[in-house]
Amino acid sequence: MNTTSRKITIDPVTRVEGHGRVTIQLDERGKVERARFHIVEFRGFERFIQGHPYWEAPLLVQRLCGICPVSHHLAAAKAIDQVYGVDPQDLHPTASRIRRLLHYAQVFQSHALHFFYLASPDLLFGINAPVQKRSVGAVALEHSDLARKGIQMRQFGQELIKALAGKKIHGITAIPGGVHKNFYPEERDYFLQENETPSIDTMIEWSQEVVAFIKDYHDRHFSWLDSFASYPSGHLGLVGHNGTHELYDGCMRAIDSNGEVTLNDVHSDSYLKYFGEGVEKWSYMKFPFLRHLGRKSGWNRVGPLARLNVCDSISTPLANQELCEFKAYTNGRPNNHTMHSHWARLIEVLHCAEQIRNLLTDRTILDEVERPPVNRRPEGIGIIEAPRGTLIHHYKVDEKGSITKCNLIVSTTHNNEPMNRAVQWVAQNVLDQQQEISDGMLNQVEVAIRAYDPCLSCATHSMGQMPLILTVLDAAGNVTAEHVKESNEYRTAS
Amino acid sequence: MSIELPVKGQTGFEPATLVFGIGNSGRSDDGLGWVFLDWLQQDSQFPGQVEYRYQLQVEDAALVSRAGRVIFVDSYKGTLPGGFQWKSCGRTNDFEFTSHVLPPRAVMYFCRDLYGKSPPADILMIQGSSWGLGTEVSPAAKHHLASALRFFKNKVLS
Repeated sequence: MNTTSRKITIDPVTRVEGHGRVTIQLDERGKVERARFHIVEFRGFERFIQGHPYWEAPLLVQRLCGICPVSHHLAAAKAIDQVYGVDPQDLHPTASRIRRLLHYAQVFQSHALHFFYLASPDLLFGINAPVQKRSVGAVALEHSDLARKGIQMRQFGQELIKALAGKKIHGITAIPGGVHKNFYPEERDYFLQENETPSIDTMIEWSQEVVAFIKDYHDRHFSWLDSFASYPSGHLGLVGHNGTHELYDGCMRAIDSNGEVTLNDVHSDSYLKYFGEGVEKWSYMKFPFLRHLGRKSGWNRVGPLARLNVCDSISTPLANQELCEFKAYTNGRPNNHTMHSHWARLIEVLHCAEQIRNLLTDRTILDEVERPPVNRRPEGIGIIEAPRGTLIHHYKVDEKGSITKCNLIVSTTHNNEPMNRAVQWVAQNVLDQQQEISDGMLNQVEVAIRAYDPCLSCATHSMGQMPLILTVLDAAGNVTAEHVKESNEYRTAS
Repeated sequence: MSIELPVKGQTGFEPATLVFGIGNSGRSDDGLGWVFLDWLQQDSQFPGQVEYRYQLQVEDAALVSRAGRVIFVDSYKGTLPGGFQWKSCGRTNDFEFTSHVLPPRAVMYFCRDLYGKSPPADILMIQGSSWGLGTEVSPAAKHHLASALRFFKNKVLS
């Protein structure tokens, strides 16, 4: 056993969007003293958007992210609609449908990206697999049928975004009080037919297949999936009328780990009354919590698992059938199994595919969109369910229309405390009092974080190498060993 | 409409050439691949398809599978004789541990493995020297770019 304390650093955490770092402090006996997930990027969007005209917000904030720009675009658009003088129910129905279609396409492609590209290597090859196996490349080589479908599912979502927004990434659909362009029959028909991009019917079929895949996987690995990084928590998400699962517009509902309602279908306008944000010196990411429950117990998970926990039903039949099965597994009680996030995410993939077909086959989506006249207000709040969870945009503007204040609570911020809990779980259950820390053990830290599909800021484009570095420090802070992972192997730094 | 259909210029007998420009036009000479595509489209009647990429992705293998020939144009950090280099692109599965970075040879490998197609592929590397924030390529890189474009026209278009 080592006789000095050690600090393990995983930097960056791989196969997540953006750059984060994990540190685990071990004492002289190798016992975990502290485990933290640090967000080391600073973006400053809330500050530098000040002074810009309000109508620029939906365009500018897309640059927060290269994976879910649509979510920021639409959350900002919903807020800016209010500044323009339009509430969600007053938006032209076709504009709402076009925005919803864009949003479902976004969630569909983002979830496909996460499952097939980022998460599936851990499931298909195991958490102790060699590092060269833990990538979408290995999935493509050894599970080519699954990989082909994953690629084309993501492609479908991206092509639909491109048809609506002009570009796959950072396009424009929403403008204050409406949409930038109408949706045309030839654009719509492309997604109803088999082309280089398969049809929406094929997408639904494949979505059902992948839900069946994860259920079968769960049947064979339930003891691991039910226990790994699991802990009781609150859950937060939007719900629609009658408590239905909602991704675009609804009220906020939260429950505790026992299913008791802690936030009862609250309208977006009052989010400030209910949410506080804590800060820590070791992370740039805040820690949101429900004020009436306090910082210690008011935190919530968000994202697919939380959304399925807080909703009573899903509006599309195939996904609702899967939801019933999902809820039955925990006898209707909240599902606190972190790894079931993958199962929940794939049920949402199916729901999005069904919703996309519903909208594509709704003839009114081709109607001409009219924009109501402007009736300016000083403030707007937009809340949406991004792929990774509840996303809040809040803007204040002056009489000239310049933004004077911006507050963003992004999905991954809600999951800050839950991800730290997950890291703590792995540290205590896997790394604690281990003399040798293996690559497989370290990967389990990342597996736990990956279940949340954190988006730490994918818009960052780094130059040069991005190695994963493992550093072991003694009690005095001296480096006693360092391993650098580049490409397919670890090498010991000289 | 704004959908990626089969490679432009493709006929029943001669699938067209697909050129990827790789880089970031906000990072000075890292944007050489993009500027190459801009110049290519301005200066000639290039009959193929061009695609701008920050990074290559696995799904690019599907696009490649429909092309008759593929050329990857990227900037190069280092010294090249004459300021550019043309070389054949192999097919290997030595991809990086992160899916954020995929080399051309891995895209070609996926193309063959996933779609059963192996169109001929080449890489055109253009020497850069300035890598900071900025939307303009350096004068030296522009000179290399012009040389590379002349070579490309002779090699591919003639």
